[in-house]
Amino acid sequence: MPEIVVDNLTHTFGKGGAEALTVLEGINLTFENGSFTSIVGTSGCGKSTLLKMMAGLFDPSDGEMRLDGEVISGTDRRRGMVFQQDAVFPWMTVAKNISYGPRLRGASNSEQREIEAKWTEMVGLKGFEDRWPRELSGGMRKRVDIGRVYANDPDVLLMDEPFGALDAQTKERMQTDLLEAWQQSRKTVIFVTHDLEEAIFLSDRVVVMSARPGRIQHIENVDLPRPRKDEMRLTDEFIQIKRRLWGMLDH
Amino acid sequence: MNALPKFLTGRLFLGALSIGAVLLAYTAVTSQPDNNPALLPPIPHIIGSFFTNLSAGTLLDALWASLYRILLGFFIGTSLAVVVGCLVGWYKTVEFLVDPLIEAIRPIPPLAYIPIIIIWFGIEEFSRVLLISIACFMVCVVNVIAGMKNVPQVYVDAASTMGASRFQVFRTVAIPAATPFIITGYRIALAAAWTTLVAAELIAAPSGLGFMLQEGRRYFLTDQVMMIIVIIGACAFIMDRTFRAIQKRLMIWSETRE
Repeated sequence: MPEIVVDNLTHTFGKGGAEALTVLEGINLTFENGSFTSIVGTSGCGKSTLLKMMAGLFDPSDGEMRLDGEVISGTDRRRGMVFQQDAVFPWMTVAKNISYGPRLRGASNSEQREIEAKWTEMVGLKGFEDRWPRELSGGMRKRVDIGRVYANDPDVLLMDEPFGALDAQTKERMQTDLLEAWQQSRKTVIFVTHDLEEAIFLSDRVVVMSARPGRIQHIENVDLPRPRKDEMRLTDEFIQIKRRLWGMLDH
Repeated sequence: MNALPKFLTGRLFLGALSIGAVLLAYTAVTSQPDNNPALLPPIPHIIGSFFTNLSAGTLLDALWASLYRILLGFFIGTSLAVVVGCLVGWYKTVEFLVDPLIEAIRPIPPLAYIPIIIIWFGIEEFSRVLLISIACFMVCVVNVIAGMKNVPQVYVDAASTMGASRFQVFRTVAIPAATPFIITGYRIALAAAWTTLVAAELIAAPSGLGFMLQEGRRYFLTDQVMMIIVIIGACAFIMDRTFRAIQKRLMIWSETRE
């Protein structure tokens, strides 16, 4: 079973120098297969750094991470990532963006068409297959981004504040759609955000981190029933969790 | 301004207006009774020189000789620049190895090589093409390197996390992301090719547009000199426009419009 274990991980930028900065210290976490976990914390708590290391974009200075017992080092299609910035390739149409990963591995034309059709529909972009990214809104480009990662069929989905740049309405819509896609595929999702409501609404579990150096402060299990509906954001239970977590964040 | 009809403020009309004004002023000066046509040939003389050389075949011969050198030198120089620039811009080891060399050579104007090229290779066709190739290479390679270095990191990361190898990232991300820079490199190289060509032909060539310029100076054929200048301007303009059309075509995905 694909399971991610973060084992006593510490990371220091500029190691050995006078300006050495420890951003993460003694992080231990286990992400079970098919779970949805959010990591929250104020800026500077190292949550993005942690996610990027899980993607394999760089190595931790101490400790390790394992996927199914195998030490993570370097990038791998099994760990897909959605970035905060717009990462859609502007020189490819929507469809070509979606089928990028399979094309890398030599998928046939008909396989590519099939994947493009499936995932453009899944992310609600049917009819936009041949558009250039510049013709789409920010929210739509994010959909392309998510569809592209899904179409690549990773075991784990790492999401680094993917909706951070979107307006409130678009954001809520994207959250609902993301949950729907997750419900169908049940991939392990690790979702970094600074938005408490987003974290609670989406997750089975919310990891709260404190800053400088980044440490795990609290782990909250969210037992709200699934499938989650927008109205849940206003229930007492939801608000209670939010209030509790809000008190823990450094303000 | 709103009262003016639209075509009066349009690109075409205003462009024609400024060119027309210059031609008119030139005509006004050259039609003065005390104007010396050997220094300032009137426009009809310039046009006359064009037709004389056209029917004698000298103009087309010179044009082909020059175009051949330009296109060959441009092709060799830019092709090498793209290969070298991509490697230097993408692979750190190659950069550390080759970049100091490029930086050392870059400030030297290509025309400074003329004497040494003549000493080594003589006044041959090869020497002229070599000089143009060097000029094109130097201006183009800098742009290709810049293009490679400006590939947004998030695209590289996105491709890597989808399982792309370093070479696949290079091929599917770095090259297309750097295309705008590379095309700009081509256009600057084209301009450099013309500059270098004329200089090379002025100094040592038995044919070509630069040769005709030199010939015009020697025999005091000012109208011929003027005519060749206009021809060079027109050729360079047409080639640049062609490039811009190609650029627009290739960059259909880009937000920035030419």
